Formats: sequence, structure tokens, C-alpha cells
Amino acid sequence: MFTKKKLIVFAVVCAIFAAGEYWIFSTLQNTFEKNSVKEMTSLVRAMTASAPKDDEDLADWSGQLAGTYAGNRFFVIRGVPGEEGSESVGGDSALFDILGLPANAATAEHAAESVSYLEVFRWPEKVSFSGVPYTLMVAPVPDEENGSARATLLAALDSSGYVAYGRLVQTLALVAFVLFALGFGIATFSRDPISGYAILVLSAVVVAFVAYPLFEAVRLTLVREGRFSLDVWKTILSNRQYLQALWGSVQLGIVTATISTFIGFMYAFAVARTSMKGKKLVTALATMPVISPPFSLTLSIILLFGKNGIITKQLLGLQNFNIYGLGGLALVQTISMFPIAFLTMQGVLQAIDSTLEDASLDLNASRWHTFSHVTLPLAAPGLLSSWLLVFTNSLADFANPLLLSGSYHVLSVESYIEVTGMSRLNNGAALSLLLLLPTLTAFLVQRRWVSKKSFVVVTGKPSTRLSDLASPGARRALTGFVAVVSGLIVGLYATIVAGCFVKNWGIDYSFTLVNIGEALTRGRQALVSTITLAGIATPIAGILSMVAAVILVRKKFPGKRILESLIMTPFAIPGTLVGISFILAFNKPPLLLVGTGAVLVINYVIRELPVGLEGGVAALRQIDPSIEEAAADLGADQATIFRTIILPLIRPAFISSMSYTFVRSMTAVSAIIFLISARWYHITIQIYNFSENLRFGLASVLSTTLIIIVLAVFGLMRLLVRQSEFLEKTVTTQ
Amino acid sequence: MAAKSVPVTLSSVTKIFRDPKTRAEVHAVENANFDVKPGELVTLLGPSGCGKTTTLRMIGGFELPTKGRILIGDSDVTFLPPNGRQTATVFQSYGLFPHMDVFDNIAYGLRIRKLPQSEIKERVEAVLELVGLSDLARRAPGRLSGGQQQRVALARSLVVEPQVLLLDEPLSNLDALLREQMRVEIRRIQKSLGITAIYVTHDRIEAMSLSDRVIVMRDGRIQQIGSPGDIYERPVSMFVAGFVGKVAFFPAQLEGMEADGRALCTVGGRQVRAGSAAEGLGAGARVVVMARPESLRLVGRGEAVATGLVTARVYLGSSVEIYVKTDAGEILVQLDDPSGKTIPSEGETVWIGFDEKLVRVLPAE
Repeated sequence: MFTKKKLIVFAVVCAIFAAGEYWIFSTLQNTFEKNSVKEMTSLVRAMTASAPKDDEDLADWSGQLAGTYAGNRFFVIRGVPGEEGSESVGGDSALFDILGLPANAATAEHAAESVSYLEVFRWPEKVSFSGVPYTLMVAPVPDEENGSARATLLAALDSSGYVAYGRLVQTLALVAFVLFALGFGIATFSRDPISGYAILVLSAVVVAFVAYPLFEAVRLTLVREGRFSLDVWKTILSNRQYLQALWGSVQLGIVTATISTFIGFMYAFAVARTSMKGKKLVTALATMPVISPPFSLTLSIILLFGKNGIITKQLLGLQNFNIYGLGGLALVQTISMFPIAFLTMQGVLQAIDSTLEDASLDLNASRWHTFSHVTLPLAAPGLLSSWLLVFTNSLADFANPLLLSGSYHVLSVESYIEVTGMSRLNNGAALSLLLLLPTLTAFLVQRRWVSKKSFVVVTGKPSTRLSDLASPGARRALTGFVAVVSGLIVGLYATIVAGCFVKNWGIDYSFTLVNIGEALTRGRQALVSTITLAGIATPIAGILSMVAAVILVRKKFPGKRILESLIMTPFAIPGTLVGISFILAFNKPPLLLVGTGAVLVINYVIRELPVGLEGGVAALRQIDPSIEEAAADLGADQATIFRTIILPLIRPAFISSMSYTFVRSMTAVSAIIFLISARWYHITIQIYNFSENLRFGLASVLSTTLIIIVLAVFGLMRLLVRQSEFLEKTVTTQ
Repeated sequence: MAAKSVPVTLSSVTKIFRDPKTRAEVHAVENANFDVKPGELVTLLGPSGCGKTTTLRMIGGFELPTKGRILIGDSDVTFLPPNGRQTATVFQSYGLFPHMDVFDNIAYGLRIRKLPQSEIKERVEAVLELVGLSDLARRAPGRLSGGQQQRVALARSLVVEPQVLLLDEPLSNLDALLREQMRVEIRRIQKSLGITAIYVTHDRIEAMSLSDRVIVMRDGRIQQIGSPGDIYERPVSMFVAGFVGKVAFFPAQLEGMEADGRALCTVGGRQVRAGSAAEGLGAGARVVVMARPESLRLVGRGEAVATGLVTARVYLGSSVEIYVKTDAGEILVQLDDPSGKTIPSEGETVWIGFDEKLVRVLPAE
């Protein structure tokens, strides 16, 4: 592997590359320097040409120059410095002091000589005042009559741009060299260069687009005027409004999580432990809120319970009913998030071997006793973990509070307002980081406590079922409850569809098709750009996540844990934080991306990578590694194995990862709202704008369109996955 | 189909794993040295965890040795990836591609080598013929029996004409009868192609019946290399003796070696001139005398080296096995041609002696 010959070749090639690069970049820098010297010289000449004719006025001249050319420093000397009869006239004396330093005597003499020959002299070293680099120019003010210098101008021109350019060039050169050395090193020393390159590319992607933006966000909150400072955090933690927002988020999270877990458990129990009818329908309806676009449920809540709501105003005749605030938010969040609790609890209940309950019943325990002493204790860790899951989701939720919070403050919206409304990026960053705190706590509780307390009984064989654990009365009550909630969901979606065809909701309920035309005309650009960008992001995220899965499951390399955590990070942190850190990182060189479509695509890819990765990892774990080894053994390299063996075998995971990416990108809000531009708009933001302007009809049309697209994509996915189901079977029978 | 046979050489190959949890070093293979001659079938035999599969995987390129070199023919392949070396592996779990039918599975390696379509067809059909699966070419592997899957895996490896065929416990997933059939089959095909083969197994019968030579491994170290007869009749240690066949050990005292290689020792208070002895033993060493069941017999009290009660009798037709509980442990005595003889019954006291020419002195462990 590391033979002497290879090491020598590697060192030589790297040296040649470095030399070539040095030559290119120093040429670049020299050219730029020459140009900037030329520019500065002519600038100084223009200044001296404008010198006051009267020697008496020279005293005010430096002040005038400082006014005209702000950001630069000047000093004026009558005559030639160092010669007899020269005399300081005025200006920034720090410039004059430089000439007087003993170490600079030779250069100062040189400068004086140039001036007496009427030539502009550039001080060879940069000088710096209070941290800003300047180029010092020593320029003669020519005497028209006798062709000598009647005065000398010391002009220190701000060169921070020039220095920044130099630094940028150096950084680029260094990055180019490191990438080359790594790439060439992998090609030379690795037995499996393709995987090496894949690791390199993935690492570069997550470092540039996950680690770097987050670092920038954290840095911004800890730095004031180039120094470490905790001022931002002091402001945040002492300001009542911000603390209120934090408490508001937590309060909302607790309410939503508690109600959602309760409803979710009822649903899960009804589906997994009773003989209720229509389970498939109930499950399908419950998954709707998970995949449906943001704002749609909020929209229909406003249509039903808002100021002009059909229930509050038309049916009940309430005048001052206010849906905006904690109550309305908890309602919307519960409906959109209880399915998470439901799906989690369903998994947990299905994993509990029902023979335990049968045993309890067999020992003459009552159903209630069995439920409270067997089922519930076994399900308790699952209950807590679904509570935490909903809690985190509620905190990270941005779309619902944006429309419905009213005067109620939550952190996610607060940080958005700080950034876009107040242009206080550092406060916004700090607030969204604050949002991480409860989320992280929940995550740690989950990790430390719940996973240890888990009683899930794994018997290896699917438990055949099922003694009905609910008495007929209890079952009827449960069924009724489930039916009411399901009915509410249907009602909410029906309201959105109805909203499309109503002239002016709350005032004029006559049928019209005008909304559809107008919404599709005005929303066309947003719709097209959203579909385009999501369409670009989908295959990238799909392939990247599968490649990442293969590498993380099958390859051993140092730093694997770190790479994995970095890929998974965007899944755990709230979208607002992702959005804010993206504008912080990509609104400046070297990666000036804000305003382009690329930043949106990158954001989609980064945020959906974790979901695809999870799916890919689960699929790969089911495949016997010797299948891939056999392919390698028969002469296939890693890329060929990926294309001909792995991808066909994990096709279901690949397809569902791609469709999730597409759908979630189409329905993204929280991060995207910071990154959109006039050219690259987003359909969900368009819906938000329509709703904000009370154009509910238009918002309904776009929401309905989005729902149709989402359902179509998932339908297509099901169709494609079903075709390859036979594969899964043969894989597992191997 | 037969490529030119090449030798395989391992010189001081060591593989050290790091336990992912405890970070402790695990020496999976320790200083392995051996040659496999061209066209030879060599078996790596040992209990599970002895490093035999790791050794095979290093030859196949799936693991990198920590130290040492591996040569196939004249070329050093130590660091080459699997796709860079001319080996083909038949995996324990077969590793068939579930999304391809039998034909495509076998053709995979040829397609990677970008052979013309007509040649691929020709070669796949020939190898299908060889393993007797011609009529199943379009079957999905999931719908084949274990034995058929095994043949497909073998065919897929053979069709690329590897220089070395590696077999990793290929028969362990088959039932006893099929295993016996496939054993004969594999040996027939390997012989007819003259291909160099390395075979990993923990089944001594498989190893004995299949191999030109057997390499016995234990705890990452090679214990003995030799022909099946060698390791059965002339094992170097109690471990090898016990692992390759049924055996009885009698604690003994070595008195001295004789010029013809026979060893003089005391067993159970009797002077014995054992047929052979392991190397490096000197007078006074603590040794055991090993005897295979077929060299043991029931004798009168005067000739006995051990005595005990019969605990069980197993009638096998051509012979009877008698289990005797003695001070040296339970000993199996095989009585050939039992008809007309008096067979001691359970609970009876018997005396055991052996054929001195057939027993061997080994160092005690």
C-alpha cells in the first residue's frame, strides 16, 4: 500500500502541482497589484492636481480631502519632507510619524527624492491604523511655475479590499491544493479509490453546507466587532419578549405533545388491539396531515373558525372570537402531529407480544386490569418517546405559528421576524439556537432514558392475533372517538377544496371559478420554479443518500462517526436555524450563493439527505454483504457494484427516498423562507402571502394544487415500489 | 476451461483486528506460512474462530493482512482489491444476485470483462452443463433448492476461469446427503479443471475426503500441514489428534527413543514400544499415548493398559462400539466383525489394550 515508490511519486506530483499553482496564483496577485498601484497612483495624481493654488489654503486641504475621500487618511507637508524649509501643515500626524521613524530613514529619503523629481512614491510596506491596512502614497504637489514640488501629500489609502482579495486568492490556492493532494493521495494509495472519492465528496459537501453554516451562526452570536463577546446572549436572555417567546414555544409544545400523544394512543390502540372496522381507511386518513403541505390545515382552520369563519360567524354568530393564539395553534398542531404519535405507538403496540395479554386474560384478569397492568406499562416508554417526538416537532414548527400565532410569541417565528423584519441577524441566530435547547434535551432524554427502559418484547415471530382487549362498550366509545377525529380531518380538507370555489369567504359564498384562473396565473412562476428546483434536488439527494448509506454501512474509515453525525444534523435542528445559518454563510465570498436557485437546491438536498440515508441504511442491512463481495470477486469495481447490484436491490428505499425528497422540498417553508429571491420563489411562500393578504380563495387553490401533486407523487411511488416487492422477498430468503 | 494452474504462497501472514468495543487487539491469524501447489486442493480445517475464514478472505482480497505477503503465481497480490486478482470465491451463503436469474448470475463476471455476447452464451452454457443445471438457466435464485444454489455459485466462480478457487464452507447450509453428493462433485470438477483450490471447513470428514493436503488451525495459528493420512495417523499434538478423529489418550512416561523411531514408555504400569512419536520429545517428558478406536481391543488383565466399566454398547453391523469409563476418561473401543464374538454388556468390567505398532506418543497438554 504505502510502498516507497508510490510515496516518492506522490511527493513529486504534489510538489509539481504546488509549484504550478504558486506560479498561477502569484501571477494573478501580481497583475492585480500592478493594476491597483496604477489606479492608486492616478487617484493620488488627481488629488494633487486639485490642490489649492494658494499656499495659505494648504492647511485646510487635508481636511477637504478626508471629506471627499472618506475612509482614507491624509497629511500635507509644505515643501519636500526632509529638505530645508519643509514644514508640516496639517492632517493625520500618524502618517508623518511613519516617515520620522529611524528604521524608515532610508525609505523616507527615497520618498523625498521621488517627490523632488515630481514622481509619486508608493511606500513598499502596508501600514495599518486601528486594524485596517492602508497603502501609503507620497505624492508631490507640483509648482506649475518652476517645475518643483511646492508641497507633499501623504495619502494613506484604504487597502482592506486589496488585502481581502489576497487572502481569498490564498485560501482558494490552499483549498485547491488540499483537494488535489487528497484526491491524488486516494488514487495512489487506496485499494478502493472510488469509495475514497465518495467519502471525500460527501465530507466536502457536509463540511461546506452543514458544519460551516452552523459554525457561522454560532460565531455570529459570540462575536461583536471582531471580538469575543456574550452581549448577544445577554440581550436575548434578559429581554422579556424573547423569554416570552421561549416560554410560548415550550408551552405550546407541552400542550400539543400531550393532546397528540393521547389521541395517537387512542388511534393506535383502536387499530392494534381491537376489532374495529375500517382500520385501513382510518390509517390512510391519519397519514394525510403528515404529508400534506404546510399552511393547508391552518388555512382551513381560519376558514372555519377565523373572524369570517363559517362556523364562528355564520353558524354561531360570534363577533369577537379569536382563533389566533395558543388555542388555535394547539388545535392545528395537534391535528398535524398526532399522526406521528399514532404511527410510533402503533409500532410499539405491534411489537408487544399479545400472548402476554392473552396470558393475563387467561389468568382471569379483567380486560381493564390487563390493559392497565400489562399493556400500558409495556407501552409507557413508547408513550414518552412519542410525546418527545411531537414536542420537538412542535417547537421546530414554523409554518403554523407564522399564520396563526397572532399576538402569541413562539421562538421560530420570533427569530424569523428578527432576521427579516428587524435585520438583526445575530439575535435571530441566537434565538434559533435557543430553540435547540429543548430539542436537545428531549433528544438526550430519549437516548439516555427511554431506550434503556424499553420493554418491547421481541419474539422474532409476528404475534398472531388477537383477543379483543376492549369490551364492546369501550370499543364503541373508541370507534366513536376515532370517527370524530377522522371526520374532522376530512372536514378540514374539504374546507380547503371548498375555499377554491367561493367568491369571497365569509362575505359572499357564491360559486366561482375565477380564483383558479387567478391563482394559477399569479402562482405559476412560483410553482414552476419550485417544481424545477425540487426536481433538480431529488435525484441528487437520492443518489447521494444511497452512496452515503453504502459507505457508512459497508466501509471502514477514520472519521466515519463524524461524517454520519454531520449528515444527520440537519434532521435534528429546526429549519429556521438552517435557513438563518445559510444566509449567514452564503451571503459572502467565497460561497456567494444567496439569491441563486443553487442555494435552494443545496438546502433541499442537505435537509432530505438524513431521511434517505436512514432508508438506505435499513435496506442495506437486509442485504447479505457476500452478494457485494461476490460481485467484487468477479471483477466489478465499487462503482459497478453500486450500479448493477446495490441500486437494484435497494430500489424501494431509493425510490421512496426520492419521492420524500421531492414532496418535502415542494412543501418546505421554514428554511426556504430565508433563501428565496424574486427569481426563485417558492410555492408555499406564495400560499403564505395570499393568506396574509386575506386572499383565502387563491391560497386554497394553490394548497389544493400542492396536495394533488403530493398525493400523485406518493401514488406513483407506491406503484413503482410494489413492482419490485418480489425482490425484497428473495433478498430475505437468501 | 482450464487456465494454467498456479501456486499460492503465504509468507508470515498476520491479521490483527481491533475489537470495536474494547479496542483490544485480536490476533485472528498469527504468522501463517504455507504453499499451495498448482492444481492442488488444500483444506483449512479448524474449529470456528480459528482464523481459517480470515485467511481465506485475505487470499481473496476482502481483508488486508496486518503483516506478511500473499503471492498468487509469481505476483504479489497482498494489497490488490478483490476485483484486481484472479481468484473466485464460493461463499458460505452463496451471495447469489437475487435480482438476476441463473444465467445472468453466471454471466455477470464475463459481462464485467466485456466479452462478446456469443462467447458469454457459449461459456455460460458450458459451465451450466458442467454443474448439471442446463434446464434451470432462467430460474430466479430464490426459487432454487439449496444444492442448486450451491451449484450456481460454483458455476459463477468457475466461468471466469480464475487462477485460484476459494471455497468458504460451501456445504455447511446443505443437508447431510446433499453435502456428500456435492463433496464428490466439487472434487470431480476441481480435478478435471486442474484448478488450484483452497477450501475452508470445520467438518473433518469433509476435509479428509476432499483434500490433497489439510492445514489444521487453532486460535489463529497453523498446527499442522499434511496429507489426510498424515494428520490422522501422525498428528503432532493432542489437539490435532482429537480434532481430526476419535481418539483415546493414555497418560504415559517417556523412557527413551529407539533408533527405528519407536518410543519406549510406561503406560498404566506397563512397558510399551509405541509405533511412533511426535518430534522433539526426550526421555522423561510428560507424554500421552494416543490410540485410534480401531487400534484398541479388549484384552486379558495381564496385557491391559487401562481398565473400566462398560457404559454403552452401540451395534453398527460391521462393528460394535463399546464405551468404557476408565481413569483416563471415557474410551471408545471398536470391535470389528462382531458376529460370533462375546461382546461385553453394560456394567461389565473390561481390560483395554492396544496394538503397539499403531499407537503414537504425543506431548501432554
